Amino acid sequence: MRVRIVLGVVLAATLLLGLGAVLGRPTGGAPAAAPAERPQATNRLAALQERLRAVPGDWTAWAALGEAYLEQARISADPAYYPKAEGALRRSLEVRPDGNADALAGLGALANARHDFAGARTLAERALAVNAWSDTAYGVLADAETQLGHPEAATAAVQRMLDLRPGLASYTRGSYDLEQHGKRTEAVALMRLALSTATAPADVAFCHQHLGSLAWAAGDVATAARHVSLGLAADPGAVGLWQLKAKLDAAAGDLTLALSSLDKVVARTPTVDALLDRARLLQAAGEDPSSSFALARAAHALFTANGGTDDLGAASLALASGDAAGAARLALAEWDRRQFGEVADMVAWTLLAAGEPGAALPFARRANALGQVDATLAYHYGMVAHAAGLKDTALVQLRLALALNPTFSPTDAPIAVRTLAALES
Amino acid sequence: MRGLLLVCCAAVAGVFLWPSGASAHPLGNFSVNQLGALTLAPDRVTVDYVADLAELPTLQSAPSCTAVAPAFRVTVDGRPLSWTIDRSSFAYSPGAAGLRTSRLECSLSAAAVVGSSTVEVTNDFLADRIGWHELTAAASGVHLVDSPLPVASASDGLRSYPDDLLSSPPSVRTATLHVAPGGGTAGPALSSAPPPPSVLPGWAGRAELTLRGWVAQRELTPWVGFLAVLLALTLGAAHAALPGHGKTVMAAYLAGRAGRPRDALAVGATVTLTHTGGVLLLGLLLTSLAGLAGETVLGWLGVTSGALVAAIGLAMLLSRRGAPHGTGSHTHGPHSHSHHEHGHSHDHDHDHGHEHGHEHGGGTERPSRLAVVGMGVAGGLVPSPSALVVLLGAVALGRTWFGVLLVLAYGIGMAATLTAAGLLLIRVRDRWPARLRLSDRLTGLAPTGTAALVLLVGSALAVRSLVTL
Repeated sequence: MRVRIVLGVVLAATLLLGLGAVLGRPTGGAPAAAPAERPQATNRLAALQERLRAVPGDWTAWAALGEAYLEQARISADPAYYPKAEGALRRSLEVRPDGNADALAGLGALANARHDFAGARTLAERALAVNAWSDTAYGVLADAETQLGHPEAATAAVQRMLDLRPGLASYTRGSYDLEQHGKRTEAVALMRLALSTATAPADVAFCHQHLGSLAWAAGDVATAARHVSLGLAADPGAVGLWQLKAKLDAAAGDLTLALSSLDKVVARTPTVDALLDRARLLQAAGEDPSSSFALARAAHALFTANGGTDDLGAASLALASGDAAGAARLALAEWDRRQFGEVADMVAWTLLAAGEPGAALPFARRANALGQVDATLAYHYGMVAHAAGLKDTALVQLRLALALNPTFSPTDAPIAVRTLAALES
Repeated sequence: MRGLLLVCCAAVAGVFLWPSGASAHPLGNFSVNQLGALTLAPDRVTVDYVADLAELPTLQSAPSCTAVAPAFRVTVDGRPLSWTIDRSSFAYSPGAAGLRTSRLECSLSAAAVVGSSTVEVTNDFLADRIGWHELTAAASGVHLVDSPLPVASASDGLRSYPDDLLSSPPSVRTATLHVAPGGGTAGPALSSAPPPPSVLPGWAGRAELTLRGWVAQRELTPWVGFLAVLLALTLGAAHAALPGHGKTVMAAYLAGRAGRPRDALAVGATVTLTHTGGVLLLGLLLTSLAGLAGETVLGWLGVTSGALVAAIGLAMLLSRRGAPHGTGSHTHGPHSHSHHEHGHSHDHDHDHGHEHGHEHGGGTERPSRLAVVGMGVAGGLVPSPSALVVLLGAVALGRTWFGVLLVLAYGIGMAATLTAAGLLLIRVRDRWPARLRLSDRLTGLAPTGTAALVLLVGSALAVRSLVTL
């Protein structure tokens, strides 16, 4: 009797626990895996935080968390996530100092975001030494090489990234690389491909912003406006799109609307760049830009006080304040660090303002060496050539600038028209 | 997933330029950080509002309470409140790069009858600025039902921001509060959208969270499945050990009614069936009917369970009346009463021929089968909230059968505890009958006493559940 009861209990327990084991066998986990495929950035953040509270020694999760914080910083334009990203990535390296390509690539991305391009390149190379198939590390390397002015190395890294993992991140980088080389049609095609793979609103907005910028650089205002509208519909908080919209509004002659677009940018992220845009717009509208200048100066002072170096921003600030010689000195200091086209353009433009067109000319040539098609670039080159006495080059470049986009700037476009008329007469 | 990690730095030049410096604002030089601390009283709503502005926003504008008041919108049952500014202060303090940061504090209040209402809060002040956005809600004299907001600020009123790698800055700008009369501030309860904290204390709480984690795992292994069932059994047993399942009553009933071990087992089986069925049904209702609040249903089930126990007590009491005093007398465990009674549902409860050797003879009644089932139903009717959470979690991940199995294990665990309690009592009764024998006079009164106790405990359970509704 008692034996039977014991046997019965044992049998029932075995059955129950065995059933648990059977139902718990490795499954395809079909419905479980699906939502994990591409969650919203915040869901992913929360999941990783939860995971690390339970398993603090998971170094891959720490590295992924660092990357997720960086992603969040990019989406929300909120720099408060940077120290968190750095903390998470360093923790990952603490837990696993060797063979941790993910954390190294993450730290490289962080260095890029902080404009420490040389440091980013070193970190990307260390990550690739650990894992030669890391597409993220190639992405970091591509960004760093681009900004350091090594276009061949950048193109090679982008190509490797595209081979390893065709997708949103590599398409957008590929598009930017093509744009640098003046291959506008291919750049647009690749960015459209990127757009077709984007699902998160912030990513969709990002692709529209770049398609809009590409259209704007070539003077296709209608297409640019369409992309701005589509992008803002996807993500109304996208700062870059509002900045582009301000340019379009100004080109259409509506300075009030342009200012209100720019106010949205300045209210959210008062960067030197956006504040100077606003000051220029106020000047064009005949209003007092001094408050914007003061804010821009403060933003730059804060940046330097926090240990940052951004001579390019300092140069545009000095130029806007009328200190052309100081601006040229700052731009040349940046050029010593990195020989990027954008820096060359700034050096040429500040040297011209400082009254040294002869010195400016090689830099203007360098800025256009890769063949990038951009109205402002062409205008700068044309004005430098004009001052240096190269009439033919000046004619070609100014015509190009106005042909690309007759309204590329509310202040500069009229000057281009006047100079061209004087040259042609 | 990696998205566009920092593509094209040129496009965002200047945005991401902030290295972490010693004197920088902890949340960045761009941030406008806000806290709205609501206090709800029966006749008024007050808000202690704080804004902590980093260096650049301080330079851009100096906010004032007159600007805050219209942007901090609170409606009571759809009617907007208009604020009176009781106090306001604005002060600068030194920040990085020789610049200043600033802090604005406003005390807002408005008269409103919030006794039983829905309060909606929206903070639209400088809504497009990035930063820490916090709302808190406390109540005095009224009761917040499932408040989505914490009672206290996580940043000590925007004075010290938690430097935690595993939490993101909060971005809470809107909230909906349900206010009920009475009580103070209630913490968040079961079934709110984020995973509820464990309802069990101590190790059982940790075990419950572990089980939820296992169920949510992407890849289950046989070993984990095995352990999960084991853990569910333990948790079910622990759940039954919590007060509110009429264990005392059941034990008293079995002991008093000359219950046999098979009666205890019958109670156990009924508990398992009721609990499993109940959780499954509730799970089905909760997933198919939007707007059904889990804790309300749980509350009503508690009421039903208590009422059922009370009904059994009442039936016992009624059957006592007019019944002749018997001769057998019985003993009891630590907290039950001995009794002896006649006359109730004879026709379907004599079950001769399978009796145990160590039972009492002569004149005692077997427990009514209906009452045994009733006891089991009462014991299993209040579902373990953690079983419900585990079931819903498993269903959400497409592992319905695994969830059902775990719920079954919970029920069996509960049944084990209740049956063990019953068996223990029967054992105690059979061991020491003589020592605890009471005088005949008392024995005569005892059945009435037990019936009254069952009725009392049942009513108490029902009322307790009713109060929390």
